[in-house]
Amino acid sequence: MNIGKEIRRAFRLFRIFAAQHLKKLMEYKIDFITGATSFLIDQVVNLAFLAIIFGGVQSLRGWSYHEILFIYGFSLLPKGLDHLFCDNLWNVGYWIVRKGEFDKYLTRPINPLLTVTVEIFQVDSFGELVVGIALIITSVRHLSLPFVWYDIPLALIAVIFGMLIYTSIKIALAAVAFWVKQSGHLINMVYGINDFSKYPVEIYSRPVRNGITYIIPFAFTAFYPASYLLRHTHPVFSILGTVIAACVLLTVSLIIWHKGLDAYESAGS
Amino acid sequence: MKPMNPLKKFLKTYLPFTKAGIQGATTYRVNFIAWFIGDIMICFVMYYVWRAVFLSSGSDTFNGFTMTDMVVFLFVSNLTGYLTGSDGSYEVGEEIRDGNIAMRLIKPVDFDMTFLFNELGGKSLTFTLIFIPMLLGVELYKYFAFGQVMFDIGTFALYMLSAAMSYLFSFYMNVCFGFMAFFLKNLWGFNILKDSVLRFVSGSLIPLAFMPGTLRTVLEWLPFASLSYTPVMIYMGKYAGAEVLLRLGLQLVWVVSFYLFSKLIFSIAMRHVTVQGG
Repeated sequence: MNIGKEIRRAFRLFRIFAAQHLKKLMEYKIDFITGATSFLIDQVVNLAFLAIIFGGVQSLRGWSYHEILFIYGFSLLPKGLDHLFCDNLWNVGYWIVRKGEFDKYLTRPINPLLTVTVEIFQVDSFGELVVGIALIITSVRHLSLPFVWYDIPLALIAVIFGMLIYTSIKIALAAVAFWVKQSGHLINMVYGINDFSKYPVEIYSRPVRNGITYIIPFAFTAFYPASYLLRHTHPVFSILGTVIAACVLLTVSLIIWHKGLDAYESAGS
Repeated sequence: MKPMNPLKKFLKTYLPFTKAGIQGATTYRVNFIAWFIGDIMICFVMYYVWRAVFLSSGSDTFNGFTMTDMVVFLFVSNLTGYLTGSDGSYEVGEEIRDGNIAMRLIKPVDFDMTFLFNELGGKSLTFTLIFIPMLLGVELYKYFAFGQVMFDIGTFALYMLSAAMSYLFSFYMNVCFGFMAFFLKNLWGFNILKDSVLRFVSGSLIPLAFMPGTLRTVLEWLPFASLSYTPVMIYMGKYAGAEVLLRLGLQLVWVVSFYLFSKLIFSIAMRHVTVQGG
């Protein structure tokens, strides 16, 4: 089948690119260590913040310390995976289009979005992924989750589609660069909203809550699926919502990307 | 020809850099606005987190801070960041890497002064367009929260003095970091690392007063409190009387130390600098 073949081809390409990228990394070992450590330390600082807050209160709007840690850890998985696989989209927004380097992707016999995305395999994200997994493991040991076997596939689905929410937002905003040459700062601004997703939505006022649920649905990348896993509340809304939000966003962002490709004019001479 | 007054000569040499800085900042205004909106959003996330903390704790104060204090702390820390933040480490590093540093070294101007005056150009715009309006907003918030005007010009003058020293400290510290470019390629990762550690040790993420005893004392004496916490505490009136003098004195000591340190690193680095290409 055609689509199956395309997907297999994409995975094969990804393996080749990742191998090349890893070779490059071995050349600059200190950079890899600095990059991964920096994202790890960044998370440690945020955890110190949570620990100090919970030094003074028992719970945050009904959510215990370990529940908050679980939500926080869960939020790092989709974010870290997107960071691992799709980091080059930032560069599309910042300089690949502006410097006219996007031309090289158009001359290749592979889908340009796919090539530009898989070109970089961002190992800096190991910092986020390691902290995320460690937080989930430690918090689960202090919590009694209402666990059933199908929670595991549901969690995996939520993580994958949560990652697609991040990626779709980045694709759509990176594509803006096709019209205005540079959109990195726009990506940065919208991406920053993911900070809201690390905490229970109950702490926000209603407009903020609706904004991160229905407009830029970062709440589906972390809080909703994590709260389902913690308390088995609203399974349909939490998991199916993540899938629907990701599919809608991905469709919209692919439309924007293709419109952008049509509008693209190379920069420079 | 009459010899020129040294101050006049100094300003005549370096003010063009400030002008260039203003032009540079105007060119990148869209980036700045996007970055600014992102920052304000993070302030609001923190606002909601603290609001939830106060609602959940059932007490009006948390480590001696009221919710009103917390709001003032969040926004004034953020504002102070605009005055005291310095891109020195990134720019020095980039110039070392691409070799442009050679162009600075062959000119009869001081290496660090050119960066400093250039950055002051951007700062002067930020001060008038962002800092003053937002500070008025904070004062207005305090007026509604307390029912009276809380602004004290003396305290504000001390805050500005402290913030000025914060900036100088931040500048020289960043110049020192910039020389790391001799050893590291991943300056970007390194800057993330530096920023997140500084966010914690400078007391801009959480007031140092909330930290456990020993850690708090150590961080209050380390130079990094000077980056944000000292001016903010002066503004909020949490440091008063003799303590203000002590903290300002400490800031001065750290500024001078880092100034000398940057000079030392600079002279060592210059003996090793090799610029690639022509």
